[in-house]
Amino acid sequence: MINPNNRLCILSAAVVAAMSLGGNAALADETCNSPYTTALIKGQEDYVHVWTLGVKDLGDGQDKLVTLSVNPKAKDYGKVVSSVSVGGRGEAHHMGFTDDRRYLWAGGLSDNKIYVFDVGKDPAKPKLTKTITNLGEKSGYLGPHTFYAVPGRMLVGTLSNVKDKGGVTGIAVYNNKGDFVAKYDVPTASGGDGYGYDVAINPAKNAMLTSSFTGYNNYMRPLGELIKDGEAMKKFGNTMVVWDHKAMKPVKVLAVPGGPLEIRWSLKPGDNWAITAAALTSKLWLVKQDKGEWVAKEVATIGDPAKIPLPVDISITANGKGLWVNTFMDGKTRYFDLSNPEAPKQTYEKVTGKQVNMISQSWDGKSVYISSSLLENWDKGGADNEQFVRAFNWDGKELTAAFDVDFTKEKLGRAHHMKFSAKPR
Amino acid sequence: MRGRFLLLAAVLFVPTLQAAQGDERVAAPLQLFTPPPAGSYSLPPIQMAPRGRVLDEAGRTHALSEFVTGRITLLSFIYTHCTDPTGCPLAIYTLAQVRDRLAASPVAAEGARMVSLSFDPEYDTPDVMRLFAKTFDTAGRKPAWHFLTTSSLAHLGPLLEGFGQDAAVADANGARRLDHTLRVFLIDRRGRVREIYSSAYLMPEVIVNDILTLAGEGSAR
Repeated sequence: MINPNNRLCILSAAVVAAMSLGGNAALADETCNSPYTTALIKGQEDYVHVWTLGVKDLGDGQDKLVTLSVNPKAKDYGKVVSSVSVGGRGEAHHMGFTDDRRYLWAGGLSDNKIYVFDVGKDPAKPKLTKTITNLGEKSGYLGPHTFYAVPGRMLVGTLSNVKDKGGVTGIAVYNNKGDFVAKYDVPTASGGDGYGYDVAINPAKNAMLTSSFTGYNNYMRPLGELIKDGEAMKKFGNTMVVWDHKAMKPVKVLAVPGGPLEIRWSLKPGDNWAITAAALTSKLWLVKQDKGEWVAKEVATIGDPAKIPLPVDISITANGKGLWVNTFMDGKTRYFDLSNPEAPKQTYEKVTGKQVNMISQSWDGKSVYISSSLLENWDKGGADNEQFVRAFNWDGKELTAAFDVDFTKEKLGRAHHMKFSAKPR
Repeated sequence: MRGRFLLLAAVLFVPTLQAAQGDERVAAPLQLFTPPPAGSYSLPPIQMAPRGRVLDEAGRTHALSEFVTGRITLLSFIYTHCTDPTGCPLAIYTLAQVRDRLAASPVAAEGARMVSLSFDPEYDTPDVMRLFAKTFDTAGRKPAWHFLTTSSLAHLGPLLEGFGQDAAVADANGARRLDHTLRVFLIDRRGRVREIYSSAYLMPEVIVNDILTLAGEGSAR
């Protein structure tokens, strides 16, 4: 077992051996971490941290980091063990660990703030240690979305800009102390639309991929109103960009229509492809090299695109052979067989909520966690506005409910992004 | 007793490293790309190298700034009794690879230096570091390679904090172990950290290009 809160001298021999075979990442932990993240959890995670949007008149109404106990052997299994409010409500959305896993950075899409939590000292009780407020001033960007660790630094993929609050944006870089380092605009030339969303790196290929969503003007607007506005609906990203990570320079713009969101590189050693889901067109896209050229290929359809199921998050299995897809509108969790990434096949689906958003799985794939909230103004209303984190066990054939934390009943808010941690071992 | 243990540890480390050098598993992470040419990209300053006091192999006290300014510096934290063949030995192995590559360019070799700074001043005394340094045939070679330590944990702490380098003492089946994230710091002539490498990106060819990129900046920056 690797002690999750101490850093081994470096990665284990097995990890280095895997790298020498062309692997991209770790042999443990969540399957969506940056390959630069160390102190990985091997075995059972103890906690799931949930970055939660505050809801007016519900509890303290503030955005907060909620920590759940998720080890089945724990006495408080399936319970909330701590909650840290940040002092306001600013569209809490995504988060990511620093490379040494001591800190968890979390962003607000509307307040444009970055909250830094110490999760290393006591993962059961994270502490807010710093709030970064200069993203707009330093970079011109708005809406810190993806937090992707590189050595000693954090890449912050953003969604918008402070000038017109449209979708043209970029990547800001901060050092682990929270000091601004640099900014890199998403290209608007050579077919680029300048839009941003996720960031994912393959170190062995020196390839960084970015995807594209939409700007503040759209993501802060009520969804029902937005989809009736034809002009606004044109303002969604339709591209991915391949970057030279070392140089932080765009190499190629790929046409991927319909808002390509989360990017997952296959973690199988020797694989050098990534997959993403386009939200509006409900398609899976494969990014790979073909005779040395990076290309994007549409490889599968998710549900019935005419009904706009809205795939919002994906989670790849550790062996690169399977992919979970959550579709927000129909509340379904779908499993695709990725044995042939050129032709993924859906093999399972289950309604896991009236609205579902993020999905994370343990390294062994046996635990699957699902959250409910997409955006404050995009979540459903009335009885359909369930807010939860639900855990399931997966035996390869069926998802079986393990626990359910009702975030409304607990007066917490809208449950969004989840990250794992573990006690020192 | 401690001294005998330290010397033994240092001597035992030598065959470990040699074995590691012959072991492909300990090679730098697979590099499946041609790095961008030196000078075709920039490396924005990340942070300043911290201030503090260090001890050289002869036990003399220096300001750390003497070893992280004036030349382009590649610095890593190590401890000599690290027995993980993919741990500190890999960092040192990579530095040795970089040194050999730089040696082919006299100008670059003259303008660069390597520093290995101990995590463990209690074990890694200047005597131990001197003995350890001999393993790497450092005398008279360029770029220079310094094996430094500190006089106490109190002197080490601010350096770790300043670099953002984590370290924690752990017990591994009765043996003392220092757990840490492997980081190698590239520092420019003005003492600014310009790149940080970890095990997933510890590629000698890339590091050499980065050093040459900084060397090409001249004194303008």
